[in-house]
Formats: sequence, structure tokens, C-alpha cells
Amino acid sequence: MVRRLIPIVLGLAILGVVAGIAAAMIVFLGQDWGDALFWIFAAIMLGSGLLVVTMRDIIRCGLAMIVCFGALAGIYVILGAPLIAAAQVIVYIGAISVLILFAIMLTQTKDAPSRLVFQTQAIPAAIASVVIAVVLALAIAATDWSEAAQRVRVATDAMSQLLFDQFVLPFEIVSVLLLAAVIGGVFLAKREPGGPS
Amino acid sequence: MNLESLIPWLVILPLAGFALTALIGRRLDRQAFWIPVLAILVVWVIAMGLVYEVLTGSAPLLPGSETTHGYEVHLFTWIPAGDFVVEVGFVIDALTACLLIVVTTIGLLVHVYSIGYMSHDPGYWRFFAYMNLFMFSMLLLVLASDFLVLFVAWELVGLCSYLLIGFWYRKRSAALAAKKAFIVNRVGDVGFALGIMLIFVSLGTLDIREVIHEAGTLEPTTVLVIALLIFAGAMGKSAQFPLHVWLPDAMEGPTPVSALIHAATMVNAGVYLVARTNPIFAYAESALVVVAAIGIFTAILAASIAMTQTDIKRVLAYSTLSQLGYMFAAFGVGAWTAAIFHLMTHGFFKGLLFLGSGSVIHAVHEEQDMRNMGGLSNKIPITYVTMLIGSLAIAGIPPLAGFFSKDEILGESLKLGFVWVWAIGFIVAGLTAFYMFRLMGLTFWGAFRGPKEIWDKVHESAPVMTIPLILLAIPSVLLGMYLGLPLGASRISEWLAPVFEEGEAILHGGAEEPAYALFGIDGVLIIASVTIATLGLVIAWRLFGVTIGPLRMPERPERVRELTARAPFFYRASLNKWWFDDLYHLLFMVIGGKIAAAIWWFDREVIDGTVNAVGGVTIDAGRGLRQIQTGRVQNYALGIAIGFIVMAASYLLLARG
Amino acid sequence: MSDSLDAYLVLAGILFAIGSFGFLARRNAISMLMSIELMLNAVNLSIVAFGAFIPGLGAQGSVIALMVMAVAAAEATVGLAIVIAIYRNKRTPLVDEYDSMRQ
Repeated sequence: MVRRLIPIVLGLAILGVVAGIAAAMIVFLGQDWGDALFWIFAAIMLGSGLLVVTMRDIIRCGLAMIVCFGALAGIYVILGAPLIAAAQVIVYIGAISVLILFAIMLTQTKDAPSRLVFQTQAIPAAIASVVIAVVLALAIAATDWSEAAQRVRVATDAMSQLLFDQFVLPFEIVSVLLLAAVIGGVFLAKREPGGPS
Repeated sequence: MNLESLIPWLVILPLAGFALTALIGRRLDRQAFWIPVLAILVVWVIAMGLVYEVLTGSAPLLPGSETTHGYEVHLFTWIPAGDFVVEVGFVIDALTACLLIVVTTIGLLVHVYSIGYMSHDPGYWRFFAYMNLFMFSMLLLVLASDFLVLFVAWELVGLCSYLLIGFWYRKRSAALAAKKAFIVNRVGDVGFALGIMLIFVSLGTLDIREVIHEAGTLEPTTVLVIALLIFAGAMGKSAQFPLHVWLPDAMEGPTPVSALIHAATMVNAGVYLVARTNPIFAYAESALVVVAAIGIFTAILAASIAMTQTDIKRVLAYSTLSQLGYMFAAFGVGAWTAAIFHLMTHGFFKGLLFLGSGSVIHAVHEEQDMRNMGGLSNKIPITYVTMLIGSLAIAGIPPLAGFFSKDEILGESLKLGFVWVWAIGFIVAGLTAFYMFRLMGLTFWGAFRGPKEIWDKVHESAPVMTIPLILLAIPSVLLGMYLGLPLGASRISEWLAPVFEEGEAILHGGAEEPAYALFGIDGVLIIASVTIATLGLVIAWRLFGVTIGPLRMPERPERVRELTARAPFFYRASLNKWWFDDLYHLLFMVIGGKIAAAIWWFDREVIDGTVNAVGGVTIDAGRGLRQIQTGRVQNYALGIAIGFIVMAASYLLLARG
Repeated sequence: MSDSLDAYLVLAGILFAIGSFGFLARRNAISMLMSIELMLNAVNLSIVAFGAFIPGLGAQGSVIALMVMAVAAAEATVGLAIVIAIYRNKRTPLVDEYDSMRQ
């Protein structure tokens, strides 16, 4: 009973810390709601991302991934692309994550908890990831993006105008691609006729 | 009929004889001798005709010479390669004519003799095929007008010698002897080949007459080197020290082979070569001294060994070595005519002696050890008489052939100032008489020492074998007188004058020869040579016995043993051929073998090791690199990530500072 | 902070790094696919951020992001189908065992 409660308590504590920092940001540092929300969503996203890659139980990894996608949708909203946020929720959380959960359930084995989580090359992988992050950060900082000072909100009708006018060919090709993917997926995962799976 | 047009047949006929006998000889079996013998008979007839014309002056003058009569025939151009042109052609001058007499006559008689001697041999047809091939090679050699053609014939003669010495190839000693002969010959041939190359490099031509005429334009050192290299070839072919070791072993071949090749023809090729190139030697006097020294040393070395040999053919083989030494010594002192004279007389009486020994061996049923012979004079009279004539001839007893030629050699060497050559040659003459009559005594006189059943079966050989003996005995008696008289202005010196006049002019600078003083120095020399020969002969008689008509002396083996006991070192040295074979074995087989083994080790370990190491490194590297291919995608992905990091970081650092 | 492009990009970079760690270090094939989804999302975030801040891009950033999302969906579908097919063969979802191409 107590053991089950520990991760929940831990999670709530972290959330509380994050919220507290956000509040402090608003109250003491005088930053507006956009920054605070950015901070909250970023924290949730990165935290759940870490949980995705480090948790032992795959189902819980899938759930953490759902949380990550949700936070990412929030960031999309902050960036002023509500259609993308909606697509993120519908496609990623609604379709892909469910698909992944189904696949997990189809490929589970009996001795699930006792396996090793990480490969033998986990440590070099960790180092490589850290270095990737550092290199990317340095590259980003060193580049002059000549960006605007404010973020621009994207109107939905402007985007759909582009989608069906200038980008109609990629749009159609993507639909063909999705068709191919569906057919391929069905074919690959089909059961052998007449035999058990 | 124009004899000049028949000249090519001299070589075509023996070659055709060889080819035909090789192809169909096996089927002809006992009749296989007809084709080769007839071929040589026709060759003999043509050769004698040509010799007559050349030596009596009926032949036209050779182009480019005012005194030399002869024939020159051009067959075809073998190698027309820009500057290097080799023509195949034949030249017959007096020197070639003298060689032709010896080669064709003795060749014919040996072929006839072999009809009977080899009749029991299963390889009958093969023997005649090889003999014809040999005749082809030897004739090509003496007729050749170009050094390269001569060299080809030189090698062919060596090849035939190998084939014929090893005729009984299943016998291990014969096969080894053939190999030894060929290899030792080869050593000399290397020198000869180098000499030919040097001639071409310095003079640009290989035509013999051109080379001889232009030899004067060369530098002294070049001429000396060429002369020495040519003599090296002659040393190999004519078995002079230190390349003499093959000739005694060559007695493993059938006796007709020994008679033809190793007495009368092939070993004379060396003498012919140096005689043919005499102007080159005349320009290099130190080379002549070397030739004389080696020649006379070989003479006394071989004579000393012949004194203790027990195999009848070995005695004759060492005798051949000794007489060849005489010829080279004569050549070295400048008595060129005497050398050729001795070549001719020696060819006849040595051929006679070898064929006679073959008859003896046939009579005692293939026994060759003289210790098991004796007292055969009454049982095989024709063989006995002819061998007696041959022994007297070789011992130098007048008026037989050997006396004239040997005396001329000794006389000329003393008169031309080479006292040491004369002295050693003088001693060798005595030794020659001694060992020859030792051979006669052990074989023909005294009591038979072999088993009785052989004694009962001793019989004279068939006429096909004895007639050649008789025919060879005639020149052994008469040839000396025919060629050597009148003394001082002999017929043979007249014949060979055009051949040697150019060389002699270079050597002596045209100085007048002193007149022949029969009652002066020359007479004294004659008496001296006859005395020493008789001395040797009598000593042999006293030790080994003699029974010629009323002249009887018993053999005294105990006295022989006494004498050998008094000089044990010399006896053992002579018996062991002065340990030269052992020395060569040590040098080349043992030490050479060790050097070869070391080099083989180097080749195996270092060179092959390096090559194998390259392969091994490749394999090990591959094995090591294979570890990367784990088959797991994640490992590959880590590699991609690392690659990406490296590229991005280097871009950041290097490009953006 | 929410007005600087760099912040969003750094955020995307960190998410990408997290995703790559998961891809390189996890043993389960499904976990690897989830990490791939994380990486794709990071890229999507950076595209939308560019769309929001770079003056010339405007709505095009969003369109590109939409395309990326569709492709990611297709890829996830096929990838999971493959994993299920392999699972049927090898009875294990662990990528350590998928080494039949080993030398």
C-alpha cells in the first residue's frame, strides 16, 4: 500500500515545485503569463520525456509519452499555432499513442518486470545524448536567426489557404503515403493463414 | 659434280638419320642400324672428297684471303635483328678439313663397331639415334662459321654426351655420371657464353672469320678476357683441370661412346675452338701461358692417376686427359700445328685403344677390372695385336704415329723457350709408356686371374668389331709418317700454314724459324723422347710382364707391392684421383649445400614470411574489424550519433570559430 | 522567455537529446519507437517555432509541421507492424536478439 503511493506522492511533489516556481516567476519576477505557462509546459514535457526513456514498465512509458505530447500541444498553443496543437492531440495522443499501447500489449512476454531496462551501451549513449544536446545548444546560440521580436499567431484560414492552394501536391502525396502505410501495416502484421500467431 | 653443293648434306644426313631412327627405330629393332650407318657412310665419302679438294688446293680461295683454300657456304640468316645478325653457314678450311678427317672416319668406324658391340642391348635403336645426333652436332661444330651456331652445336654436343653417358639410365652410377658431365661442362660453357657476349659487345659481329680479322682492334685487356673465357669453355669440353672430373666418370657409358666422344671427337672440340680463334690468343700472350700451364699440369696430373687405376677404361680415360693436356700445352707454347697433329694421331690411336678395350670387355663377359684379366693374348689375337699397336703408338715409339706428334710438341716447346713445359712433358711421356704397358701386361700377358668358367668362354669378337680395329690400326702406324715427314717441313704444317699464319705473325712478329737441325738440338730431343718412352716401357715390362714372341718377362706382383709400399702417399693420392672429387664434393655439395639450405631458410622464413605476414595481417585485421558488425541496429545508431556529434562539433569549432 | 526563439529551439534540442538517448539505450523495440516519436516531435516543435518567429515563413511552418506529423504517423504504423511481425517470429521484443545479420 505504501509502496504504491510513493511515485504518486513524488509526482505531486514535483508538480507542486513546478507550480511554485511558476507562481514565483509571475509574482516576483514580473513576467507575464506566457512565460510562466511556457515554463510549466516545458517542465512537464521534459520531465515526462525523461520518464519515457527511463521507466521500467513500458505501459507507464507509453502513458508518460501521452503526457509529453499533451504538454507539447500546450507549447504549440503558446507559439500561436492552435491548429497544430489540435492536430497534435488528435493524431499523436489519439492515434499514435493508442497504436503504441496496442502494440505493447501484443508483444508482451511473461517475465516483464525482471528484465534489464538498458542496453550495455547505455552509458556511452547517455554521454552521446548529452553531447548532442550541448552541441545543438551551442549551434543554436551561435546562429543569427534574424527573427522577429514577437511570436506571430497563425490564422487557421491562412494555413488552410496554403494547404489547399500551394501545398496541395504534398497534401495529396501524404494521403497516398498514409494509404500505403495502412496497407503495409495490415499486410505485415497479418496473421499467417491457418496457423497460430 | 660440284662438291660444294654437297656440303649442307654433311649435317643434314646425320640429323635425318637421327630423326628417322628415333621415329621408326623401335620397330626396326635389330635392323635399326642401317639408316644411321649408311648416313654416316655417305657423310664420310662426301667429307673425304671435300678434304681432298681443300688440302690439295683444288678448292677455290676463300673470299678475303690470298692463301687459304676452302669452301664457304651460306645457308640462311638465322637472326636478323637490326645490329645483331647471325648467319648460319659453313666454312671448310684446312683446320676444319683435318677435324673432318678425324670426326668422320672414327665416327664411321665406331658406328660399324657398335653394330656388333651393342647388338645385345634392348636400346639398340636409341643408341644409334643418339650417335647420329651426336655426329650432327659435332659436324655442325667444326663447320660453323658463326660463334652463336658454334655455341649451339657446342651445347648439343654436351647434350649428346649426357644422353650417351647415361644411356643405361636405369643404372644409378651412369645417371649420376651423365649429370656430372653435363654440369661440369656447363661451368665451362658459362665462360664460353660470356666470351661470346663480350666478343659481340666489343666487335658487333659473331662471324668467326670477321672476329679473327678484327681482333687486333680490341684493347689488350678485352682480348685477354675474351681469350681466357674462350679457354674456359674449352676447359670444360676438353676436361682440363679443374674441370677434368667428369671424363673418368663418363666411362659409365658404352665403350663405343667412350671411343667416339671421349677420345676422338667431343673432347677435341676444345682444342679445335682455341685453334680456330688463334689470332685472339696471339694477341693475349698471358692467356697462352695460362693455357700451357693448365694443359701440362693436367697432363701430369692425369698420368699420375692413370698409373694405379684398375679399370681398363679408366686408365684410357686418364690417358685421354693427359694427351689432351699435351695438346693444350702445345697450343700454349705456340706450337699450334703440333697440337692439331697430335689431335689427329691421338684420335686414331685412342679410338683404337677404346674399341679394343671394348672388345676385351666383351671377351671376358663384361668384366672391366684388370685385376681379373691376364694372358688373353692368345685367345683374342686380333684385339691383342691392334691394342699393342695402339699402345706403342701412344707411348711414342717411332715410327708409329704418336712418336711424330708427341716429339713435335716437346721439341717445339723447348725451342720456343718453354723449358718447364718440355720438362714436365718429358716426364709425362715416360709415365704414358709405363701405364699403357702396365695395362697391356695386366690384360694380355701373364696368367689369367679370373674365374675359370670365363676363361673357357673367352672368344674373339665378330668381324664387324675387329675390322674397325684393324682399320684404325693402319693410321696409328702410318699417319705419323704421312703427316709428319719430311721433318722440319712436314706435310701437315704445309696444310695448316694458312690457318695459323695470321696468328703466328702476331705472336712472333715474323721472326724466322730456325731450320730443322736433325743433327743438332732436334736430334738430341728425338733421342731423349725415345729414351724416356723406352724406359717407361721396359719398367712396365719388368713389373707386369711381357710375352711378345721371343721376348719374355714374368710379371712380378710382389715387386709391385714392394714399390707401392715405399711410396704410400703417392700411391693413395693417385688411387684417389688426388682427392679432387672429394674436394669438389666438400666444396659444392657440403658447403654449397649448407649455403643453399641457408638461403632456402631465408627465402622460406623472411621472404615467404613477409608475404604470408601481409596475408596474416589482413586476416587478423578483418577478424578484428568484424567485431563492429554486431547485427544490432542500436550499436549502429550509436555510431551514427557519434558521427553526427563529430561533424557538428568540428563545424562549430572550425568554421564558426 | 517565451518570446525568444532560442528558448524554443533549445527546448526542442533537449527533447531530441532525450529521445536519442532512449533510442540508443532501451532494449525493448517499442521503447525505441516511442523514442523515435519523441525525436520527431522535437523536430516538429522547432519547425513550428521557426514558423512563429521568422518573418517570411508564416503559415508555411505550420503546413510543414502538419506534413511531418502525417509522415510520423505513417512511420509509426509501419514500424509497429514490423515489430509485431518480428515478435511473432522471434518471440521476444528485445532488440538484442535481432542480430541475425551479425558477422
